[in-house]
Amino acid sequence: MDTNWNDSLPIYRQLRDRVVAMILEGVLNDGDPLPSVRSVAAEYRLNPLTVLKGYQQLVDEQLVEKRRGRGMFVTEGARRALLKDERQHFLEEEWPRIAGRIQRLGFEPKELLEHLDKIPPEPAPSLKGAPEPDAAEGDERD
Amino acid sequence: MTDDLIVARGLGKSFGATRALDDVSFSVKPGRIVGLIGPNGAGKTTALKALLGLTRFEGALSVLGLDPYRQRHRLMQDVCFIADVAVLPRWIRVRQLIEFVAATHPKFRREVCEHFLARSDIKRGSRVKELSKGMVTQLHLALVMAIDARLLVLDEPTLGLDILMRKQFYETLLNEYFDEQRTILVTTHQVEEVEHILTDLLFIDRGRIVLDAAMDEVQEKYAQVAVRPEHVAAARTHQPLAERQGLGRTHMLFRDTPRADLERLGEVGVPSVADLFVAVIQGARA
Repeated sequence: MDTNWNDSLPIYRQLRDRVVAMILEGVLNDGDPLPSVRSVAAEYRLNPLTVLKGYQQLVDEQLVEKRRGRGMFVTEGARRALLKDERQHFLEEEWPRIAGRIQRLGFEPKELLEHLDKIPPEPAPSLKGAPEPDAAEGDERD
Repeated sequence: MTDDLIVARGLGKSFGATRALDDVSFSVKPGRIVGLIGPNGAGKTTALKALLGLTRFEGALSVLGLDPYRQRHRLMQDVCFIADVAVLPRWIRVRQLIEFVAATHPKFRREVCEHFLARSDIKRGSRVKELSKGMVTQLHLALVMAIDARLLVLDEPTLGLDILMRKQFYETLLNEYFDEQRTILVTTHQVEEVEHILTDLLFIDRGRIVLDAAMDEVQEKYAQVAVRPEHVAAARTHQPLAERQGLGRTHMLFRDTPRADLERLGEVGVPSVADLFVAVIQGARA
């Protein structure tokens, strides 16, 4: 029913990744509140425990902090810490693969830089506003 | 003592020669959303009827610490129910219906009901028979969610609703009703639409519970693997519970197989409740 999730990872994990992407993209800034567990659960029709588990993971990683009675907030410095990790991950894991592929395909750096202007911007990640499934779809009953 | 909301031990029920429920045992904790899932005639409705005190049964059953059959009146103060054959009298007006529930149910919160109805197009003066199917369900849900109950039982609650109404139904339920003090037991054929909502699974087939697990456990124990053609034979040695041919991959469902072993065979993923259901039912019948 939802196109939001893939089945390769548990949903709480995908939820965690989505919040991380939002912090990295600056959709969520240091000190910003996360949407309430209830609203995310309702929005995605997830059980609230799944949402809590995803949030808890972020708390364990010290990217998010609980403020008693007020909900969850992005920790000060979360974006910087994430960016550092992501940059390291990119250089160690992704870049060698991409560089290898560039080499195999025989690209010159100049060619690739010129092409940069033609790449459309990616939509910002968010925790809402996923496209609605077509109302006529999947309306089978038994 | 436990804090279990429902405890069933050795529940049984026969209709003539048919065993509708056969030695059914399970328990449900507060704050959970439990899916009771089974094929037609598996015993789902009989189990719900026993829980709601609508039928006699063999074995021991406690719901909110009460015997549902003997203490039904007390139980009903803390339980509400939407049946698949959700029937509201066709002739009654919405206004009269609200009056009726307000007068008969001590835990009915009229202002909550009005709040839900205010967001719908349902008019107080309309008769039930003048409402669309979706409106009748909305009305029913508004009445039921306005009851401050601890256990909500939903039997095929979205049958016959279109996909937008079904989506709205669960969204409202999660946003405005459910919290850690409340428990929801839901049966449905529409497994896909509830699978992410559920915290626990109860599969029932031929009157018996064939799977009783929290979703977390399911995700740890079971794995769906898209096995590459060259690894199919090796994969079969791990005794998959089910196997289905896909595009250039054979999808196999494994239980308790180390993840490292599975990752050598193909892409490992989380099984859907529907896949798990088919595999478990087939396994139980084999």
